Amino acid sequence: MASVQVSEAEKVYIMHGVRDDLRVDGRGCEDYRHMVIETDVVSNTDGSAKVSLGHSDILVGVKAEIGKPRALVPDEGYLEFFVDCSANATPEFEGRGGEELGIDLSNTLYKVFNNKHSIDLRSLCICPGEHCWVLYVDVLLLQCDGNLFDAISIAIKAALFNTRIPKVHISEDAEGGKEIELSDDPYDCVRLNVENVPCIVTLCKVGQRHVVDATLQEKACSVASLLLAVTHKGMVTCVRKMGGGSLDPESISEMTETGKRVGKALHAPLMDLLKKEEGLGKNRQKVGFLR
Amino acid sequence: MPTDTKRLRGPEESQSPMLFLPPDAQILKASSRDGSRGHADVRPIFARCGLVSQAKGSAYLEAGNTKIICSVYGPRETERKDETDMKSGRLLCDFRLAPFSCLKRGAWIQGNEERDLSVALIESLQPGVCLHRYPRSQIEINVVVLENDGSILAHAVTCASIALADAGIEMYDVVLGCTLRQDGDTCLVDPTFAEESGNWLGGYGENQGRVTVALLPNFNQVSGLHADGEMREDTLTEAVRTCMDGCHKLYPVVQHALLRAVKRKAPPSVK
Amino acid sequence: MAGVELLSDQGYRLDGRKASELRKVQARMGVFAQADGSAYIEQGNTKALAVVYGPHEVRGSRSRTMHDRAVINCQYSMATFSTAERKRRPHGDRKSSEMSLHLKQTFEAAVLTQLYPRSQIDIYVKILQSDGGNYSACVNAATLALVDAGIPMRDYVCACTAGFVEDTPLADLCHAEESGGGTTLALALLPRSRHIALVQMDARLHQDHLDMLMEAAAEACRGLSKVLDGVVRQHLQEVSVLTRD
Repeated sequence: MASVQVSEAEKVYIMHGVRDDLRVDGRGCEDYRHMVIETDVVSNTDGSAKVSLGHSDILVGVKAEIGKPRALVPDEGYLEFFVDCSANATPEFEGRGGEELGIDLSNTLYKVFNNKHSIDLRSLCICPGEHCWVLYVDVLLLQCDGNLFDAISIAIKAALFNTRIPKVHISEDAEGGKEIELSDDPYDCVRLNVENVPCIVTLCKVGQRHVVDATLQEKACSVASLLLAVTHKGMVTCVRKMGGGSLDPESISEMTETGKRVGKALHAPLMDLLKKEEGLGKNRQKVGFLR
Repeated sequence: MPTDTKRLRGPEESQSPMLFLPPDAQILKASSRDGSRGHADVRPIFARCGLVSQAKGSAYLEAGNTKIICSVYGPRETERKDETDMKSGRLLCDFRLAPFSCLKRGAWIQGNEERDLSVALIESLQPGVCLHRYPRSQIEINVVVLENDGSILAHAVTCASIALADAGIEMYDVVLGCTLRQDGDTCLVDPTFAEESGNWLGGYGENQGRVTVALLPNFNQVSGLHADGEMREDTLTEAVRTCMDGCHKLYPVVQHALLRAVKRKAPPSVK
Repeated sequence: MAGVELLSDQGYRLDGRKASELRKVQARMGVFAQADGSAYIEQGNTKALAVVYGPHEVRGSRSRTMHDRAVINCQYSMATFSTAERKRRPHGDRKSSEMSLHLKQTFEAAVLTQLYPRSQIDIYVKILQSDGGNYSACVNAATLALVDAGIPMRDYVCACTAGFVEDTPLADLCHAEESGGGTTLALALLPRSRHIALVQMDARLHQDHLDMLMEAAAEACRGLSKVLDGVVRQHLQEVSVLTRD
């Protein structure tokens, strides 16, 4: 992952700041950086969102395609995640350099969504055992400035909120063969219920305390971090300890508690924002990258 | 496309007959597991060092029907020069599920699941190894699961740490792993494959999940934590505690295995 | 013509443009803070991002180092969701390797590489949304990114495509016109000196028509260069206001 060099003196400075609940950029330990969210930025997709968190820039595109349901669960569709660590973010990702991180990120996303409630997969079913919607969630990293997981999860939630799946009509011909017809009207579509989609909160242990939304500099000062995926009800759908250090049991429970609190608090404003943006309808001026 | 002519290939699309078995919903309801095991009991484990003579260190671990073999090579010079770290060594891991290890035949090439397990294993082991003692070098850990009967990551962690110790790699502590399967209010420690994948093939339901903890027993520090599913926060914290207790239960066996290996390598001089 | 009529009797194209009319171009420089130079361009529905890193020491094998000039390293990739049909891989396929090579050749002709011996300049372009003219959007975005990075060039490199339908050259093709199967010519031009950085044409065209087509493409490039110049000037004005005392 993109990393920065931090000198010992800087590390001491950052750690002392965190001890006193004042971080280098003036935030408290549980504050996020300024976040910019915009949905519907790529018109070739069924749903898309762009999120900037500090200098981390994420673009997510969701494409719905018709596929075959998995044999074990014939009445459900499924999600496919792909994370493209493009060379835009850092020259280290050129060629196959970003592949390892991309697989790591997408594997974690699969785990985050590995439960019945995140997305109602049954609503993606078209014809049990034969056809279902496959949602390809493609994440594009444009710039890395720490806390990728949180930014990605927020972008995915926004993109799924924005996703519109065309309605289909199944007609049966005389021989019992089924034919799928897509609705011609682009406004005749199905929305996903994204209320239960979890957001990831990464907590970095810096000194004796832990911080939310760590910058690269802060990350360099911490040996271990804990990733928590939290739903709006406060359910935890994925936990992962990252980094080369270990954590004592007390700090794990403390961090879980903070993570739950922060994660729960993250959902309401996010949903408000998304609904407000949608409410603007066609009056909304699309900004994209032309800020 | 080149085809493998030495093997009789099945049809393009095929499904395992296991799919058509009636769902075994009763597994988790059974009050006793495999006869006499309680919910919080780990399976008895068997561990031995030094099976692979060519490797610097190796270990074999059996927990119920889960069988894992691990070998450690190195420390040796890093292969990729651009990734050389002047201050500390690197752990590399190759985690494989043998094609015959699961109910469904797997492929020989490393799949996504195996890569994920490799990353998880490295993350869990790293805090226990004194990597700063091996600057500019790499230590390779090869793990092969011979039979997958649940909790493979946890047992692989234990097995790999025994192999690292057997290889004489300096460590702060051994790393012990334990998995727990949460189902509503009941939790099963060290689940078997059937318990692990029981009746929620289509994703976890309410308050169900799986937690794997890696522990440094002497420091009482958690070096690895992986959980998925959907759990309340208090359930999760409780699950981590239960897993830690499970880890401590393994410690005497691991100690015994290491002691035995040391005695064999350097027999106590008889006076 | 098979199927769709690319040019109506009244002389209008599918999207209502005249034959020599360009699509709307919107661009912005300095999109990212971490890169040395970056730019974003929209040409109609084609959207491209370009990022420039460098000049810096040559990465990877030392053997690539040039003792009298800088090495230009390009990577072209497409977001997996950029096309109507989802792409499996963002880069590494034959088409994108070819595109990377073309970009490299284009910018080797324009950048004053001899000013930076033994160094490397990375140009990474990404198509976010594809609607024809990917190459030209990439070249234009990369030019702006290079300007943003402050790397000296002989001139702006402006690229545009042109097609040929019913004896009329069409400038700046969209995806529907490109996939119609007619002749497509991509031209990268240094407008002031009228030097050609790269020209590429596929499908068949009568020799007599080539000059006409080249002229149409060159005219489009000159039009684009005005737009790009405007973008650069506006950006400089904004930046100088921001940095003034």
